Amino acid sequence: MNAAATRPVDAHLAFDGVKLAILNNRWEAVARKMANTLLRTGRSGVLATARDFSCCIVTADNRLLATAESIPIHVLVGPDMMAKSMCDLHPELKPGDAFLHNSPYHGCSHAADLSILVPVFDENGKHRYTAIVKAHQADIGNSIPTTYYGHAKDVYQEGALIFPAVQVQRDYKDIQDIIRMCKMRIRVPEQWWGDYLGMVGAGRIAEREIHAIGNEFGWDQLAEYGEQWFAYSAERMKDAISKLPRKTATSSSTHDALPGTPKDGVKINATVAVDPTDGFIDIDLTDNIDALELGINVSEACTRTAALIGVFNSIDHNVPRNAGSFGRVRLKLREGGVVGIPQHPTSCSVATTNVADRITNSVQTAIASMDSRFGQAETGALSPATMAVISGKDPRKGRPFVNQIFLGVTAGAGTPTQDSWMTIAHAGNAGMLYIDSIEIMEMAYPIRCYQRRLVTDSEGAGQFTGAPSLMGEYGPAGCEMTINAVSDGTLNQAKGAAGGGKAFGARQYRKRADGSLEELPVVVSVTLAPDERVVSYSCGGGGFGDPKTRAVEKVLNDVREGRIGKDRAREVYGVAVDDVFSLDSAETKKLRAS
Amino acid sequence: MRFATDTGGTFTDLVVEDDDGNVQMFKASTTPDDPIRGVLDVLQIAADQLGLDRADMLGKGDLFIHGTTRAINAIVTDTAAKTALLTTWGNPEVLVLREGGRIEPFNFTVPYPKPYIPRSLTFEVVERVLYDGTIDIALDEAAAIEIIAQLKVQEVEAVAVSLLWSVVNPIHEKRLGELLAEHLPGVPFTLSHEVNPILREYRRTSAAAIDASLKPLMTAYMETLEARLRDAGFAGRVLVLTSQGGVLDAADVAKQPIHSINSGPSMAPVAGRYFALADVGASDAIVADTGGTTYDVSLIRGGSIPWARDTWIGQPFRGHMTGFPSIDVKSVGAGGGSIASVDAGGLLSVGPRSAGSVPGPVCYGNGGTEPTVTDAALVLGYLNPENFLGGAITLDLEAARHAVETKIAKPLNLSIHDAAAAILDVVTENMVQAIDDITVAQGFDPAQAVLVGGGGAAGFNCVLIARRLGCKELIMPQVGAALSAGGGLISELTNNFRVVAATRTDEFDHEVARSALAELTSRANAFLANTGDQAIDSRMTFSIEGHYPSQVWDIEVPLPQSAIDGEAGVAALEEAFHQTHEKLFAVRDDGSPVEIVGWRVDVAVKIRSGEIGQMHNIAVAQGSENRRCFFRETGVADVPLVSFADMHEDSKISGPAIVESPFTTVVVFPGSEARKVASGSVVIEILGENA
Repeated sequence: MNAAATRPVDAHLAFDGVKLAILNNRWEAVARKMANTLLRTGRSGVLATARDFSCCIVTADNRLLATAESIPIHVLVGPDMMAKSMCDLHPELKPGDAFLHNSPYHGCSHAADLSILVPVFDENGKHRYTAIVKAHQADIGNSIPTTYYGHAKDVYQEGALIFPAVQVQRDYKDIQDIIRMCKMRIRVPEQWWGDYLGMVGAGRIAEREIHAIGNEFGWDQLAEYGEQWFAYSAERMKDAISKLPRKTATSSSTHDALPGTPKDGVKINATVAVDPTDGFIDIDLTDNIDALELGINVSEACTRTAALIGVFNSIDHNVPRNAGSFGRVRLKLREGGVVGIPQHPTSCSVATTNVADRITNSVQTAIASMDSRFGQAETGALSPATMAVISGKDPRKGRPFVNQIFLGVTAGAGTPTQDSWMTIAHAGNAGMLYIDSIEIMEMAYPIRCYQRRLVTDSEGAGQFTGAPSLMGEYGPAGCEMTINAVSDGTLNQAKGAAGGGKAFGARQYRKRADGSLEELPVVVSVTLAPDERVVSYSCGGGGFGDPKTRAVEKVLNDVREGRIGKDRAREVYGVAVDDVFSLDSAETKKLRAS
Repeated sequence: MRFATDTGGTFTDLVVEDDDGNVQMFKASTTPDDPIRGVLDVLQIAADQLGLDRADMLGKGDLFIHGTTRAINAIVTDTAAKTALLTTWGNPEVLVLREGGRIEPFNFTVPYPKPYIPRSLTFEVVERVLYDGTIDIALDEAAAIEIIAQLKVQEVEAVAVSLLWSVVNPIHEKRLGELLAEHLPGVPFTLSHEVNPILREYRRTSAAAIDASLKPLMTAYMETLEARLRDAGFAGRVLVLTSQGGVLDAADVAKQPIHSINSGPSMAPVAGRYFALADVGASDAIVADTGGTTYDVSLIRGGSIPWARDTWIGQPFRGHMTGFPSIDVKSVGAGGGSIASVDAGGLLSVGPRSAGSVPGPVCYGNGGTEPTVTDAALVLGYLNPENFLGGAITLDLEAARHAVETKIAKPLNLSIHDAAAAILDVVTENMVQAIDDITVAQGFDPAQAVLVGGGGAAGFNCVLIARRLGCKELIMPQVGAALSAGGGLISELTNNFRVVAATRTDEFDHEVARSALAELTSRANAFLANTGDQAIDSRMTFSIEGHYPSQVWDIEVPLPQSAIDGEAGVAALEEAFHQTHEKLFAVRDDGSPVEIVGWRVDVAVKIRSGEIGQMHNIAVAQGSENRRCFFRETGVADVPLVSFADMHEDSKISGPAIVESPFTTVVVFPGSEARKVASGSVVIEILGENA
C-alpha cells in the first residue's frame, strides 16, 4: 500500500488530490486490461483490426466511472443506461452472473454492438460496480449480411437478435440455450464464438481487478472517492465551460438523401447555449424530423453521446470524461425523432455513424460559430466502400466469409490550432480504428487491393486544413463478392468553419472489366463479378479558418507532397509556387494582399 | 580488460572490468557535437584514476562494448539521411496512412504524424506479387531505371525498397537491389525482406525506411569509433549493444543500423536478469531504470528477457514504428527531472514533462523554476547537497524548498515536507502504473518478482515502489547508476532470424515446418560460424508465431521441441499454444486448431564466463553518520547514513536510513531492511504485511 494510504482517513474524507490521481489511474488500468484482452484475442476484423469496441466500469448506481481509451461513440453515454436496464430487469443479481445486451431501446448504441455486462460484488454480496464490454460484431443475424442495414424499414426487417440485458452466464458458466440461439442465427458462428470468449475474458479480468482494488482500499472508501472523482470532474468541466463565450448558436448538418428520406436529405439541427457563469451547456435536439422507416435513426445512447463528442471536441481535452463532467451538459430530446429517443420497432441499425455524426458536426460547428478559438469544422461522413462489409464464398477455403474491411478512410476536420488528424474516420470514432494491412487482407479473404492514394486538391481548405479524400480500389480474387456500405457525404460534403472551405465528398463506382465506371448510390449494396472492382472515394474533412492565412511554408509543403496543386495553392491559399517548388514571395505577398 | 560504455542523454558511463574481475565505474558528460569525444573523455578519467596512461590502459583491452543513442537521436532530430522509398504501384501512402490508430481521442492539439519518408521521395514501381508468391505483374525494369535516374537527380543519400508480398517472394526486391547497385553506386539501400521479413507492409516498410536512413550516418560512426579507438591504442574487438539486448560487431551494425536504435536502454533488463539470479536466485524480476526524464521498465519471467514486436520511436501512433522486435522496455515520462504541478482543480500531477538536463531541477541552479522529483528528494533530506554525483554539482536546497512551497504546498494546503512526500507518492504511482501495465495487464502478479532498481535517481522511491507492488525484495546493483553499461559486460552476441511460412495444426504440413526450421537452422549456423574466437557457449531457441483461426494478432510460442515429429509433436505444439494464450488472456479455446504464420530462431553466443566482481571505487568521503530526513512515519528525524563501501554482508540496516555511493542514494524507508550481498549489490527486504 502506498505511504499516503497509511495515513488515517477520516470518516468524512477530505479532498485528496494524490489519492484521487492514484485511484483514477487504477480504474483506467482495469479498463485498459479489459481492452487489451479483447483486442489481442478478437477474431472479427471489426474488433481486432478496427478496435470497434469499448471497455468501461460503471458504479452500482449506474454512473460511468472509468473507460479505456475507446471509440467515443461507444462509451460516453450508453453503458450507464445498459447497466441500469440490467438492474431494473434483474433485481436479484448474483456473483457469477453475466448479461448480453444490444437493445437500442434499453441503452445500447445499436444492435451490432453486442455487450457483456458483469456485475461485481463485494465479499458480502453487495453489488458495487458493473464491468461492461461492448464490441461491434462481424454479424448479428440481420436479414442481409451487414451490420449496417440502411434500408431496414423497422427492427423486424433489420432482423438482428435483440438482447435487452439477457442473462448469458450463471455461476460463471454459459447458459447454453443462449449460446445455441446465437450460433443458429449469427453468420460465421465460430468467429462469433471466438469474439464472445474474448469478451467474457475481458469481463472476468475486470472482476478480478476490481476485487483487488476493493480489498486494498475498502469498498465504502472506494465509493466515497468515486464521488470525489465525479465532483472533481464536474469542477474541471465547469472551469472549461467558463472559458467559452456566453452565446447561443444554432447549426445544422445534413445527411444525404436516400430512398425514404426527405428529398433534401436528413437535416439535423442543434441549438447550443453556453452559460459560462454557472458552467452549463444546453443542447436542444428537438427541432428535428420524426423517425424514418429506415435503419439510420439514432438511438438515445448515440444521440446523447454524439452531442457530447461535439462538446468535448471543442473544449480543453484534459477534462475527464465521466458522469461528473457529463452532468454539465444538458440535453433536450424528444421521443419518436430521427435523433432523440426512438421507439420500438424503429430501426437504429446504423445509429453509431451516419446521422449521429451529423449531430456531432452540428454541435462543434455551432460552438465554432460563437468563437473561432473553439469548436471544429465538419468531420467527413462514413462509410465509403473502403469500409464496407464484404461477403461471399472463399474459393480457396470453400467456406463463406463475411467481415467488415477497413482499407482506409480520412475525414478529419480542421481545428482552431491544428490541421486535421487525417485518419479520424468519422466523428464518432476519433481516429481510434486501425487500418487494414493489404497483405493481411489478401491472406485472410479472397480480395485484391489495387490501390490506395490520397486525392490531390480534395482537402477542406483553411488556415488549418481538413483531411483530403482517400481513393481506394479493390475487388474479389477469383469469386463473386457482395459489398454493403451506407455512404453519406456525396451531396453534403464536410463544411468548413470560421472561413474554412468544404472538402471533397464521397463517391463509389463499380469498375467493370472493360474499365468503365458505374456510379453507385448512397446505400451501396452490390455484388461484383470476379472481374469487377470497386473504386471508392472517402469524404475529406472541412477546413478551419481563412485559407489565405495558412502559413506559407505549410502550403509549400502541401504542394511538394502532392496534396494540392499549384493552381489551388494560388487561387485558394494565395501562395505562388514556381516550377522547382520554391516560393515566389513577391507574388504571394501580392496575392494575399488582394 | 573489458570496457563497456553507454552514451546517454546527460552522461557517458564507463564500466571497466580488469582481468581479475574487479569492476570500476566512471562518468563523464556526454558531448553531443562529437559523442566519441565523450567516450574518450571518460576513458581518460578512468586512466587517470587508475594511474595509467590511457593508451596503455586501452592496450590491455580485449573487448570494447558500446551503447549509443546516436541512431535514435538522428531520427528524433531529423538529421538522418535523405532517403527515398520504392514501393509497389498503388501503395504510395503506406507510410502516410500507417496502420491508423490514435491515442487521446479528444486531444486535437497534436498534429498528424509526417511520413518517415515524404511522398515527394516515394516512387511507385510497376510490379505485383500475390499472397501465394505468384507474380501477377512482372517488374518493369525500364521504368525502375528511370526512377533510379530521378533519385540521382534528387541527390538521394539512401534508398528503402519495400514491395508487397516480398516476404513470400523477394525476387522483385532483389532485382531492384541489383539495379540500384548498378545505376546508383555508392548509395546504400535496404531491402525490406532482408531487414525485417514480416507480414504487414507498413511495419516492414517503416523498418526498411528507418534502416536505410541510418546507413550513411551509422556506417561512418561505427568506422570512426573503431578508428579513433585504434588510434587511442585499443586493439581488441569493438561490439555494439543492440535493441535486442545483445551485442553485434560494429561492422555488422553498420550494415543494419536499425538494430542500434534501442542500444542502451535494452541493456538494463540484461543486467537486471543477471543480478536477480546472482544476488537472490530469482528468475522473475522487474527491472526499472530511472533516468532524468524517463522510467524504463521490463519484466523478466522465468529468466527470459521480454520481447515486443511493435517498437515505436516516440509515442504510439504519433511516432514511427520500427517494425522490428526489440527487448520490451516500456518507457513512461517519470524520472528525477519530472515536473510536479497542481492544476486548476487542485489535482497534483508529476510528469511526463521533465526539466531535462537543461535547465534541470530547480536545485541544480541552472534556471529551473518548477519543482521536480529530485527537488522533492532534496527537500525531504534524502540527498546531500554538497556531494551529489560525487560532488560534481552542489545543490541549492533553499531554491528547491521555495519551489515546492509555492508551487505545490500552498495550493494543496500542505506542509512543505508533506508536499514533497506527495510528489514522491504521485511519481511512485506513475511508475507503479508502468509496471502494472507490463505485469498485471499480462496476468502476472508483481508480488512474485524481485524489483531491480537502476539509474541515478532510482533510490529516491524504489522502496516505495516495491512496497506498493508487494515485492518482498529489492536489489540495487553496485553498477546500478550505469545499469546499461553494466549490462554490456554480461551481454551475449545475439541475433534472430525469421521465416514466413503458413500451416495449421489440423492440416499440418510437415514439409513446410521442416523446411522453415531447416532454413532457420542454417542461417543460425552461419551466424555462429562467424562469431570469432571469444565464443564460450551458444544456444538456439525456436518459436512460432500464430493465432486461433480468424484471430488477427499473433502470439509467440516457444516450440516444445526443436523438431515437430508426427501427430504427438503437433499436439504438443497445440497445447503449448493453448497454455500461452490462457496465460496471457485468461481464456483458451480448447479443440480449436492453431494457425501458424511465422517461425523464428533466436541465437545467443556467450562471450564471458564467471561473475562480475565487486565495484572498487565506491567509497564516500563522509562527514557525518546521520542525515536529517523527513518520513511520514517519523516526521523530521536524524537517520543513519551508511556508505555502500562500509556495508558488510552480515550487517543489516533497518529503515529509516540512507545508503549512499558517489553515484547514487538509496532511501531505506521505515519498514524495510538493507543488506549487502556477495556481488556488492544492496538487497532491501520489505517487511510487514504489505510485502
